[in-house]
Amino acid sequence: MVAFFRGKLAFAFKVLFLAGISALLVLLLISALGQKQYAIGIFLILVVIGLNFTYLTKVSIPLKFFYPGLIFLLGFVVAPIVFTLTMSTYNYKTGNYIGKTEAITQIQKLAIEPDASGSTFDIIVGKYNGTESAILASDTVKKQYFISTYDKRIDLNVTDIKVNEYQVAREAYNFKALADAELAGADKLLSKSRFFYTSEFFIALEGFDVGALYRQKLNFLAIQDAFQNIATGAIYKDNGKGNYANVDAPGEILEPGWRAPVWFENYSKLFLDPKVREPLIRVFIWTVVFAVSSVLTSFAFGLLLALALNKPIRGRRIYRSILILPYAMPSVMSILIWGGMFNTEFGAINQLLGTDIAWFQSVTFARVAVIVVNLWLGFPYFYLVTSGALQAIPSELNEAAAIDGASPRQIFSKITLPLLLRILSPLLIASFAFNFNNFNLIYLLTGGGPKSTLDGDIAGATDILISYTYQIAFGSFTQDLGLASAISVVIFLLVASISLYGIRKSKVLESFV
Amino acid sequence: MNWLRENLWRHVVGIFMVLFAIFPLYLVVISSINPSGSLQVTSFIPREFSWKNYQMLFNDPTIPYLTWMKNSLVISVSVALLSVVISASSAFAFSRLKFRGKKSGIQLLLLIQMFPAILALSAVYVIMERVAVFAPHFGLGTQPGLLLVYLGGAMGVNIWLLKGFVDSIPAELDEAAKIDGASAMQTYWLIFVPLAAPVLAVVSLLSFIGTFNEFILARLFLVDMGSRTIAVGLQGFIGGQYSQNWGPFAAGSLIASVPIVIIFLSLQKYIISGLTAGSVKG
Amino acid sequence: MRNGKSLKALALSLALAVSFGVSLTPVHAASTEILVWADESRGPNLTKVMAAKSDWVAGYKVVIRTFSSFDALKAAVDAATDLTGPDIIVGANDWVPTGAKSGKLAPITLTAAVKAQFNSSQFFDLSYKGKLYGIPLDINNVAMIYNTKLVTTKPASFGDMVTYYKTNKVAKGLKAGLCVAGGGMSWGAHQVFSALGADAYMMKKDGTVNYGQSFNPSLFGNNVKAYLLDGKKSNGFFPASDTGCKDNFLAGTVPFAVIGNWEWQSYVDAGFTMNLMPVPGVTAGTYGKMFGSVSGALLTSYAAKHGTEAAAKSLLVNFFASTAGQVAYQALEKRPPAEKGAQTSAGVTSGQKGFGSAASLAGIPQIGAFLNNNKGGASYWDSAPAYWTAVLVDGKDPIKEARKLAAIWKTNVISGQADL
Repeated sequence: MVAFFRGKLAFAFKVLFLAGISALLVLLLISALGQKQYAIGIFLILVVIGLNFTYLTKVSIPLKFFYPGLIFLLGFVVAPIVFTLTMSTYNYKTGNYIGKTEAITQIQKLAIEPDASGSTFDIIVGKYNGTESAILASDTVKKQYFISTYDKRIDLNVTDIKVNEYQVAREAYNFKALADAELAGADKLLSKSRFFYTSEFFIALEGFDVGALYRQKLNFLAIQDAFQNIATGAIYKDNGKGNYANVDAPGEILEPGWRAPVWFENYSKLFLDPKVREPLIRVFIWTVVFAVSSVLTSFAFGLLLALALNKPIRGRRIYRSILILPYAMPSVMSILIWGGMFNTEFGAINQLLGTDIAWFQSVTFARVAVIVVNLWLGFPYFYLVTSGALQAIPSELNEAAAIDGASPRQIFSKITLPLLLRILSPLLIASFAFNFNNFNLIYLLTGGGPKSTLDGDIAGATDILISYTYQIAFGSFTQDLGLASAISVVIFLLVASISLYGIRKSKVLESFV
Repeated sequence: MNWLRENLWRHVVGIFMVLFAIFPLYLVVISSINPSGSLQVTSFIPREFSWKNYQMLFNDPTIPYLTWMKNSLVISVSVALLSVVISASSAFAFSRLKFRGKKSGIQLLLLIQMFPAILALSAVYVIMERVAVFAPHFGLGTQPGLLLVYLGGAMGVNIWLLKGFVDSIPAELDEAAKIDGASAMQTYWLIFVPLAAPVLAVVSLLSFIGTFNEFILARLFLVDMGSRTIAVGLQGFIGGQYSQNWGPFAAGSLIASVPIVIIFLSLQKYIISGLTAGSVKG
Repeated sequence: MRNGKSLKALALSLALAVSFGVSLTPVHAASTEILVWADESRGPNLTKVMAAKSDWVAGYKVVIRTFSSFDALKAAVDAATDLTGPDIIVGANDWVPTGAKSGKLAPITLTAAVKAQFNSSQFFDLSYKGKLYGIPLDINNVAMIYNTKLVTTKPASFGDMVTYYKTNKVAKGLKAGLCVAGGGMSWGAHQVFSALGADAYMMKKDGTVNYGQSFNPSLFGNNVKAYLLDGKKSNGFFPASDTGCKDNFLAGTVPFAVIGNWEWQSYVDAGFTMNLMPVPGVTAGTYGKMFGSVSGALLTSYAAKHGTEAAAKSLLVNFFASTAGQVAYQALEKRPPAEKGAQTSAGVTSGQKGFGSAASLAGIPQIGAFLNNNKGGASYWDSAPAYWTAVLVDGKDPIKEARKLAAIWKTNVISGQADL
């Protein structure tokens, strides 16, 4: 057996294995660099070097064990976090979404206006004089025909051309149409091309068969990094926040903008802008209340059950099997079902209770509903872990206390519960952290509502930080990824410090030393 | 009398919680046999009975339910196996080997798990979009791409969970092996892995269930009808722009949850010990 | 010795890798595929249409990518950067302002002949700052139906419906009088708002928007009080949420419902004989106004990067904007087509006709620039359902809340002008 790990065969096997993986990675690397994905390329280079270095030398034995895990963590967990951190310093939202170069291209493309009558022409794309890109254009109403290249227009008489049944010119002297197969290759160039009409107007393609008449409204001045309105002379300059803005009227900006670094503006908004700060504080308080009460209720019910079923009573197996069903069912499904059950007019809960409570429209009831559903989802877990923990408590302790004359209640409150809490505190903390970010529940059950929108509320009554932030980041009409990233960084710091504190306190980390 | 005092409250608590647990599930069952295709929340007794929703799942060519099921199983099983293979060795290193920065490494591992993953969604999308540009088979819209992202996401939790287990396995055996001159690698493969096998099975089971349920990443990643997972496919029934088909959704969810429930029920002993082992020590 | 081997191994692995890499590096040919993104309903039907006839743009293949749901499509459109993406997105009209503002969509200019095939208000729906970003595809609207097994005479006014509900509530076990089954409590419920006197924006006689004016809050509030409330509480006629509406309508426990034209067939399939009409107003002969919107095939700015912009524009004109294209597509999708030729030539169902005539009695354009705007504190979409909740559930004063609503909508309309 030992030979398997030390022999020449093993070494050869290892080398082949490493070579195979390196080969795959280098293949990806070449492809990545070929497509100008330099950040990913550099990451891959480091991965390949690290891989061979780790397994072909004896630098660090522990590294051999966690290298693969480390790579996955770096690539798919740490990298997104770093990206989010970066985005939190950017003006990155609806209207400022693309890169600056792309934004300039698009502003130039959008800064054209059709002529007064919106003239269009039927066109054929081809070559003039064999080499020059050109279009053969027909205005079938005015019976106007011409060939247009980038820099000139050659008007044609009806006698110079052959027309089809719609009076569209199909052939002309010195003009050769592109074949269908050639069109695809020419598309990129053609879409950008501007064919000469007059010194003011040009024709741009609206598909392979249609050209429309435009003139340019804005000029890009590359040296000044600015746009100029040709008619009015107004200058639009980079305002440092991802838009070109009119220097005389800063509110007037050109769209689209680009994502631009604004450093700590998103963070300062969190604290200084009351429209952002106030709902955030409200949501934060509810998030803590929600997470704490979810953990406490689930734990309490789980504990009660665990105590009740701690003795081998009749039917315990059946109880147990049914009780873990909520944990085993896909939670997406069960949350949506609960949503239907809480419906005011038609829901099962009101029918059962004989009430007509508007669960999701009233702040208090919606919050109760959220906690009840989370209790349903969470108590089986605590039932399971508490049962396990109860069995781990040495029975001698209880017996000794009973001999000393302690009542069962005293035994429970003085011995069992403190021990349980001690054993389960890491799980309680983990559960708190999980519920603090329990996105699915809120998103699928109440969508964060109810919201007194008429009184200016932006956040809903059951919105927790993560669902509120999701709304900011991916909301239906406007998305502010920069601000959302800043909030998620803050959430992260909060949860992390609470959890770290809790874990230090419960001394779980002692064993790490 | 004594029996009553001792056991009655246990049954009362048990029955009450059983009813609470089972009530929504009962509604799912009757919704799945409700031919009107809506969520049966109005009456507790099924008014009509039909297999229509179930038939739809298996006969309608536009609903490749079995393919979704297969995709889910392939992805979930791969994540379950690979993530445990990769994270077990890391957990072993963190638990048994001595090296500099171990404590801060563990704490860092714990911390990055606290990052609200939903909000890193757009970052993950952007990264995989870039990967798709140069390696179309591993990027956005592919199952291997999604698998990579899941593996990355599962890593932290699994290492953390497994480390708890490993800590609870007595160290004497590998100490002895070390004295006999075995390398760390040999200790790992010959002593640790066989010992930890049941624990590895539980962690992989938990990853399996987590992956099986995930839909937010999956619905963004897996676009083509044939490559969807069950969670995405089913969510499609109720996430339509204008219509919601609760009937097939309920039927599909029931069928999809049967394997998980069976695994859960048959392995509950291991799962319980698995869930607590991380905290209950020695 | 080990080190020597290691080096050899390294060299071997890199050599292998490079040779693989060079041999497999993809060759980038000009793209001859036009990529279209669509949701789970439209995608499969577009795929079928493209399979049946593939030469809409000569030399190109159209690839349809179907998303699992409309939400998933929206999520992907929002998340996509300028690196990848489709050439055309089949999506909602209110994606146009944000998409255009962020540089994700690209404008298109149509010939007069193509323009003539559509209603100009449909172009308005898909335009941003005077530029058109796509082709109108399906028409979406709602109308009210009533269960003819319960209601024997067509209601002439809102009051008729309320009276019917009050007299038959106990005898027929009614759970509500009128509910919204399709379109939700903001889009679908606009008819009810309007029937009671609250329009999202006021129109002048000449069909232009009256910017200076909002609806009359006390008139509307008093109507709400008279028809929907019983003292401070809801009288049960109009539920503040849309959940369960369809089920209860089909079960005969709600006599009137607002439904969407896309779900008409499911009511027919359920075996109901029903009549379609707009929601009647408080005065007999008037009706609540309904939004008519279009879904569109939108051109993206990625198309230019892919080198398929001209081709995508050709597909928009040749397929999406043509009678032949819309007929072929709507034969499967069964929504009312937007294109005029397809409207007359397609086998129009009685339901589509009913929605059509309801729309001609009471339709108004759905102007996203006003409705999506939230300068007043909240968009129309968020504030409308909030009114129902505040008044029908929380028991707040209908007139006071109506004043807030009127103020929000007025600000939205005025500041939305800039996005027209």
